[in-house]
Amino acid sequence: MRKFVRVLVVDDSALMRKLIPGMIGEDSSIDVVGTAVDGNFALKKIEDLAPDVVTLDLEMPGLNGIDTLKEIMRHWRVPVIVVSSHSTAGASITLKALALGAFDFVAKPQDVSARMPEIAAELIKKIHAAAQSKGVQPQFLPGDTKNRHPDKLHPVAPTHIIAMGVSTGGPNALQYVFSKLPAEFSGSILVVQHMPDGFTDLFARRLDDCCPIRVKEAQSGDLLVAGRALIAPGNRHMKVKRLPLGNVAILTDDGPVNGHRPSVDVLFHSVAAEFGSQAMAVLMTGMGEDGAFGMGEIQAAGGYTVAQSQETCVVFGMPKVAIERGFVMKVADLQDLPGILQERCAPDRERADRADIRRSTSAGSN
Amino acid sequence: MNLPPEDRMAELRQLFFESANELVQKLNDEAMRLEKSPDDPETARSLRRTVHTLKGDAAACGFRELSELAHEFEDVLTLDNPATTALVPEIALRAADVFAALLEAYRKGSKLPGIQPLRTEIARLAHGSSSDTEKKPRKKSAAKAVRWSEYEQLAIRQAAATGRRVHHVVVDVDPQCGMPIAGRQMIQLALTDLGELLALYPVEGSPEPVTRIEAALASEKPAEQIRAKCSIPTIALNVRVTPLRTQSLSAVAPSSAIDPSKNEATAAAPADIAIDAPAKAAPVAGEAPAVPAGPDNLLRVDAERIDSVLNLVGEMILAKSMLQQALLEFGQRFPKDALRGKFADAMAFQSRVLNDLQHSVMKIRMVPVEQLFRRFPRIVRDVSLRCGKEVELVVRGGQTDLDKSILDAIAEPLTHLVRNAIGHGIEPADERIRAGKRARGTLRLGAYHQGNQVVIEVSDDGRGIDAAKVRQRAVAQGLLQAEQASELSESDTLELILQPGFSTAEEVTELSGRGVGLDVVQSVLGRLKGTIQIETLPGRGTTFRLRLPLTLAIIRALMFRVEQRLYALPLNVVAEIARTVEEDIHQVEHYDVLQLRNDVLPLLRLGSTPPRGPETARCKVFVLVISSGERKFGLVVDGLEGEDELVIKALDDQSITTDLVSGASILGDGRVVLILNMIALTERFTRGRADANGPRMTGLLSSLPPAASRAANEMLRARGLAGGHA
Repeated sequence: MRKFVRVLVVDDSALMRKLIPGMIGEDSSIDVVGTAVDGNFALKKIEDLAPDVVTLDLEMPGLNGIDTLKEIMRHWRVPVIVVSSHSTAGASITLKALALGAFDFVAKPQDVSARMPEIAAELIKKIHAAAQSKGVQPQFLPGDTKNRHPDKLHPVAPTHIIAMGVSTGGPNALQYVFSKLPAEFSGSILVVQHMPDGFTDLFARRLDDCCPIRVKEAQSGDLLVAGRALIAPGNRHMKVKRLPLGNVAILTDDGPVNGHRPSVDVLFHSVAAEFGSQAMAVLMTGMGEDGAFGMGEIQAAGGYTVAQSQETCVVFGMPKVAIERGFVMKVADLQDLPGILQERCAPDRERADRADIRRSTSAGSN
Repeated sequence: MNLPPEDRMAELRQLFFESANELVQKLNDEAMRLEKSPDDPETARSLRRTVHTLKGDAAACGFRELSELAHEFEDVLTLDNPATTALVPEIALRAADVFAALLEAYRKGSKLPGIQPLRTEIARLAHGSSSDTEKKPRKKSAAKAVRWSEYEQLAIRQAAATGRRVHHVVVDVDPQCGMPIAGRQMIQLALTDLGELLALYPVEGSPEPVTRIEAALASEKPAEQIRAKCSIPTIALNVRVTPLRTQSLSAVAPSSAIDPSKNEATAAAPADIAIDAPAKAAPVAGEAPAVPAGPDNLLRVDAERIDSVLNLVGEMILAKSMLQQALLEFGQRFPKDALRGKFADAMAFQSRVLNDLQHSVMKIRMVPVEQLFRRFPRIVRDVSLRCGKEVELVVRGGQTDLDKSILDAIAEPLTHLVRNAIGHGIEPADERIRAGKRARGTLRLGAYHQGNQVVIEVSDDGRGIDAAKVRQRAVAQGLLQAEQASELSESDTLELILQPGFSTAEEVTELSGRGVGLDVVQSVLGRLKGTIQIETLPGRGTTFRLRLPLTLAIIRALMFRVEQRLYALPLNVVAEIARTVEEDIHQVEHYDVLQLRNDVLPLLRLGSTPPRGPETARCKVFVLVISSGERKFGLVVDGLEGEDELVIKALDDQSITTDLVSGASILGDGRVVLILNMIALTERFTRGRADANGPRMTGLLSSLPPAASRAANEMLRARGLAGGHA
């Protein structure tokens, strides 16, 4: 018999307690075992019903979402999918929830009459991923540290262009990596993190606040400089372009690719085309297969490709697909990624030497 | 959930309206609580959460205006600005009104109400906040001035550094321009001709409307020539060309070409002010105990579904009657058959289960009257504020259960009574003090069960109703003659105020009078088969007592015959049944009376009065003694049929043109019975007595158009129920 994914829906809105179970109940392998109106009820029901996955509204009376999440993480470690509202405040608290170990989040359903199937599909997918995930590993959860970096960024041309693709589990993983890169990091980073509109800007600011390197939500025309990461804004694709005066990120509104906008493949494809052997692709935790194809393109263009290891991924999806297709030159644990990035981006001569060595040794060693 | 999507959406919409109305009510409650204790942080938080939930729900259902308005309000509440805290309750109340109006408009699909005034209020709330005053102008300038991208800044700097002149070209696009996108293209071409185009906004393919084009142009051409080149008729309304000074870029990118310094990055982004807000807004861990949360295993069910179950139960009851009838006939035909006993046992069992089933289903429909009472604190607050009176509301018996449809129906009459009590009943403070009462008036709202009924009381400790004044007024308003008025009993007199067009107030006040009297109360109660009773003590106060059936769907009824037709009345209005003969019915003035023990009981004839004569003198009749409120009268009927539980089927208005019949039902043997409207009967009786030339006190049902009965029969037959011999 097929195993059901048992889901508990926690929301103080009666409408949502009807709507969400209704949507995810479409999937025959999901069983909504209960709903709860606030955190206290939720904790009781987790104890009683032992759900596999919890969807959690963060704005609730009584025990609020964040405290509820803390309790869940402390006692049960059930994967939690946060259902987040569309506001700056909502985005901020959602990012906080992710930092506390929430598995992932979805935006609160909007205009369901028009977009029901799409919204439902996303939530269902995430619930399945959450059920299969071993959860967020505490050692990769960011602490409260505030890392100050120098106020001024000196526009130095980067030695390398590093394109990173990441989805579920990404916010914590990225923060982990970025917090370990020094301010004088010589590569220029471009990130596609699957995240809706309205979250990426805040996400970038948070990273900027706590990491030595600079982090910014990308705008069209932003220069690719050393020591800075540009994060593709939600709902827009990010590409790169070489221009006479410098290299820039370009945002476009083309349709979703692999169901995503921004899509990792779009970024990788354009990075492969523009920078070839100067490029490096990193695929990190996340479900689906976005980025795998583009990774192959970067590899083919002479770039270097790295995938996050299964052990350290919250969801081993995108890296897995790329590895299976043979596009990955190195598989690395999350804690090794900062070191690898720095090594690859070390000043030219040194890098060239090491790269040659690594290419001959690591390609087959995965 | 395997419903087709459109059904599911309808269900969701329904749920949305229900819960949204509840949220609006909650907003009302919280706003009033906050008004009383403005420093209570939990109330303030709870209010904000309510707005938040409403926003989310509305967004989910695609009700954008409501969602956005709630969003704006929530944002302002999130600011938590002490300078404007005092304004929050008032604006929250107004917001509750506007939200309610929006909901109503959405539900009916009617035109949305204006929301601009509330928007302005909300904006005013935000205005006191320092972060916002900073934000406003910045937001505007951000919207106006183009921000060159990093690359463009670099290009501009480089051009300037190599000694070229860089112009800032701003073209206002003619709003009449039919093809602004093509217009942009033409401006771009013109500029490219003039020199090196370093930047052009809006960028190609941008979804934003082209109302204004801005460009950075490196060109040696004089500004005037650029201006002329760009002034393309029908596209450009206005063209400005100014030198683009690289110094002006320094605010954006100091010292070097690409230095998106920290300060710049945060200062220039319009959305930054809210970053810190959630920290403040998020409830602190471990604070105040939770607001009591409703039981979580509540199930929301569309009332219509319950109705349909109840309807089926009703049909089952019909089926039971039919079986019983069949059993009776069977028993008569085969009195000794052993099968008869088995049938009887099975029937008894079935009817017990059916009875339980019926009660269980009816219980589902029951909701605590609290749901309705909850609205009144707000109403009392508003009305007393506008009347300049101080009124305390005391609510009792909120847990009393009542059929949901009845609850919905009495909302309006009850509101009317409450407004009336504040507007007319309770005196102004000075008058109260002169009368030796507390300056603050008390309005009591209560509910309790009594037998098979629910009683709802609205009572005030005001000036009471002066019966003499009511008489005068009624005469003055031409409702009755002076001599009739003097004959009216106290309770009859009081009921005059329920007549259409009656008003006791010296002047019609905006709130309570509204030109119409309390007749709306009377007519609604008639529909609900309820009654109203008025008690007043001059100087001490007035109580309006509404008696309502527990449910509308099934009644215990007494059935009787009038001129070969079958009728029924709710059993609870029949105080007793008297048997008599025609000759014992006497005529006093213009109506019939019956001596019943020591009382003289006025009568109302449902059939026509038989001609007086020896052949009719010993004719047996039955008199149903009706006790409706304070009034007692007798109904003369031809014969009794017994009592039974009747499942009421509403008749549509087209088939029934008289208000005397409120519904129909069908018996086990297939006969149709018409259910009489108690209120209408009582009203005929009152009017008839008051006026000799008024409606006839006899033959009420003789005048019932046969169409009514036929229509009822047709309707029931269409359901495959009615037998042929009705």
